[in-house]
Amino acid sequence: MENLKIEATKYTPEIILDTNGNLSLVGKSYPENTFEFYAPVMAWIENYFETNPAEKTLVNMEIIYFNSSSSKLFFDFFDLFEENSKDNSIEINWIYDEENESAEEAGEDFIEDFEDLKIKLVTK
Amino acid sequence: MDTHENKLISEIESLQKQFLSTTDKLVKDVKRQDKIMARSDKRQQREYDELMALKIEIEETQREVVFTMGAIGESRSKETGNHVKRVAEYSKIMALHYGLSEKEAEMLKQASPMHDIGKVAIPDAVLNKPGRFNDEERKIMDTHAQIGYDMLKMSNRTLLKTAATVAYEHHEKWNGTGYPNKLKGEEIHIYGRITALADVFDALGSDRVYKKAWNDEKIFKLFKEERGEHFDPKLIDIFFDNLDDFLEIRDSFKDTVS
Repeated sequence: MENLKIEATKYTPEIILDTNGNLSLVGKSYPENTFEFYAPVMAWIENYFETNPAEKTLVNMEIIYFNSSSSKLFFDFFDLFEENSKDNSIEINWIYDEENESAEEAGEDFIEDFEDLKIKLVTK
Repeated sequence: MDTHENKLISEIESLQKQFLSTTDKLVKDVKRQDKIMARSDKRQQREYDELMALKIEIEETQREVVFTMGAIGESRSKETGNHVKRVAEYSKIMALHYGLSEKEAEMLKQASPMHDIGKVAIPDAVLNKPGRFNDEERKIMDTHAQIGYDMLKMSNRTLLKTAATVAYEHHEKWNGTGYPNKLKGEEIHIYGRITALADVFDALGSDRVYKKAWNDEKIFKLFKEERGEHFDPKLIDIFFDNLDDFLEIRDSFKDTVS
């Protein structure tokens, strides 16, 4: 299985998915077709857990701006992590700037919805 | 019979379970969607508010910068800050009576204080000379229109473009004897024609280093003589038809005696 790296654009974050268990999404997320854009990311993660997950999976998400379909997608994203959280050690850092109220609220929503996941809010 | 019944019940119970788990998931999804929607609405509201606040900030900054630039120009020639305020107000009501839109009239009001910004480049000895200029000094003084235009013309902002036109053409005369380009009649932009009249009206009525303020009678006589000469006849008519408005502005922005 290969690493997946997607460069940042004006509307999409930089995404680095490493088979060593370090997954990161950094930047803005308001693509025109959010689900299409993230399809390879979801596929990679599914495949990763099915085939050869690392001992520990660390997810760093630093999304400074996102549209509503992105936040829907992040829920799906976390669903995927939750499904795999019994058999895997997964930690998620939701990173945001102190002044970014929207990002903070989204992080709180995720924690509320995913009781079984280890999601940490990290302010910059 | 009993076993058959039991089987049915267990099938139904299994269905019930499936149904419950599916509806649970649906409820969860709907709740999630609602949450996303509510967050999104809140965010949109916040973003729109921020956008509007920024817009006001930009407009006010622009206004202040433009006004301050005008005041700098005026302060160099030891005139009072109220001169630019009055010229701004005169220009706006003249623009409205001439038939320009409220938006354009307001734009002109904000831009007109910069009509003399080119004076920042005129040496003090010329700018503040008491008495009449000789030919050489007059030539230097007259460059302020071109200089003001050159300072402002690069901008793409409507307000600064308006200001550039005002700076460039406020010394042109209706009969073609003004400067810097000896434009004639409606070749002179309406902004230039309006500011010319507003500027002269205010200058004549104020004390300057080289002259005392004229009384109204003398000013009105000159305006009548210069109708169609120095000034656009239509604007002179507007001036006299609405004289009270102009005098009211003059009263409310009086220069304080120092």
